[in-house]
Amino acid sequence: MKVVVLNGNPNAENTGFDEYLSALKSRLEEKGHVVDLLMLRDMDLRYCVGCFGCWVKTPGRCVTPDASHDTDRRVINSDVLLLASPLSMGFVSSVLKKAQDKFIGLLLPYIELVKGECHHLKRYEHYPYLGVLVEREADSDDEDLEITREIYERTCLNLKTSLRLFETTESPAVEVADAIDGL
Amino acid sequence: MQLTVYNGSPRGAHSNTRLLLDRFLRGFEHRSGETHRLHYLVKLKQRDEQLRDFVEAPGPVLLAFPLYTDCMPGLVKNFIEDLRPLCGRDKLPPVLFLVQSGFPEAHHSRYVERYLEKLTRRLGCRYLGTMVRGGAEGIQVMPGIMTRKLFGLMYKLGSRLAQTGELDPGLLRKLASPEQLSPFAQWLYKKLLYRMSNNYWNGMLKKNKALGRCKDRPFTEKQ
Repeated sequence: MKVVVLNGNPNAENTGFDEYLSALKSRLEEKGHVVDLLMLRDMDLRYCVGCFGCWVKTPGRCVTPDASHDTDRRVINSDVLLLASPLSMGFVSSVLKKAQDKFIGLLLPYIELVKGECHHLKRYEHYPYLGVLVEREADSDDEDLEITREIYERTCLNLKTSLRLFETTESPAVEVADAIDGL
Repeated sequence: MQLTVYNGSPRGAHSNTRLLLDRFLRGFEHRSGETHRLHYLVKLKQRDEQLRDFVEAPGPVLLAFPLYTDCMPGLVKNFIEDLRPLCGRDKLPPVLFLVQSGFPEAHHSRYVERYLEKLTRRLGCRYLGTMVRGGAEGIQVMPGIMTRKLFGLMYKLGSRLAQTGELDPGLLRKLASPEQLSPFAQWLYKKLLYRMSNNYWNGMLKKNKALGRCKDRPFTEKQ
């Protein structure tokens, strides 16, 4: 499988998180998977400005020629997308959210009803399974994890996929890699 | 009373969030003595001033933003991260929120609402509530007759906040309606509103000479 890991760790001094993801990558590669591990904090990603140019001017891609073209290309051509981030104020980092905001071009602006709710139509045939990996912060509690998980379950509804994994870095990297291998 | 307002829309002053806030603030200031101080989070260079005004706010703080991929925009998350040093500090202001989305149902925004309530507990602020509104994407181009009720509700919410220091629960419910689409609304959506929504997007695509490319898949890799 092609696995894309978006590393949303904003802090280069948090080496433990980066090392965890490197170990995860190595384990997945040992299992024969192709892994793209992207360090978002080092990429030239701009905030989405809500212009909808990715829907109405340059359909499918952000009008700003930033690194989102690269991240979106890799994401949509993967089998598994792992969004990884330390929790910060109870949710994933703004670095990861910034990259995620640029996913809207992966969908069409048009709306359909799914289970009685409005959602956007697919642009692509195939969307990757989603996994979320977070690192607790000092004051994290189970409620934070539940809130984050629920938000990503909603994201999956809109991204035409399903949340196949939600883990914290308290689980060993090998176990998380094995769980991804089993998808 | 002074209200300190943060508009977290990446569109800044050209946002639907601003249109809603305008009406809310008019209501808030309907009687003399009420004032507001407004910040646009998109002005990143003003972050120090934005944070200082949060700490020193003499009255409630309102954080308003559009729903982006089921949560707050990255820009707003970045601001929230900058509030970290304030957690647990004494005398922080009470906080209220406005979340608006393009989806017609309010339900989409309920998940981030739960996050926002928890955020106030993390900071140690009193939570005054969240105004949730769906169907806000088109309000810039809607004729007045279509926005009159919505803007009236925003005005009343602002006015009530000034009078009581609280968000009126009845008005919040009205603002959020429809929470979810009824079977009739779903039928109507399929029959009529689909077309209206598609026409809205197709009109913009046509204006940009991009209608023929509307379903492009620019990132598909050849196998």
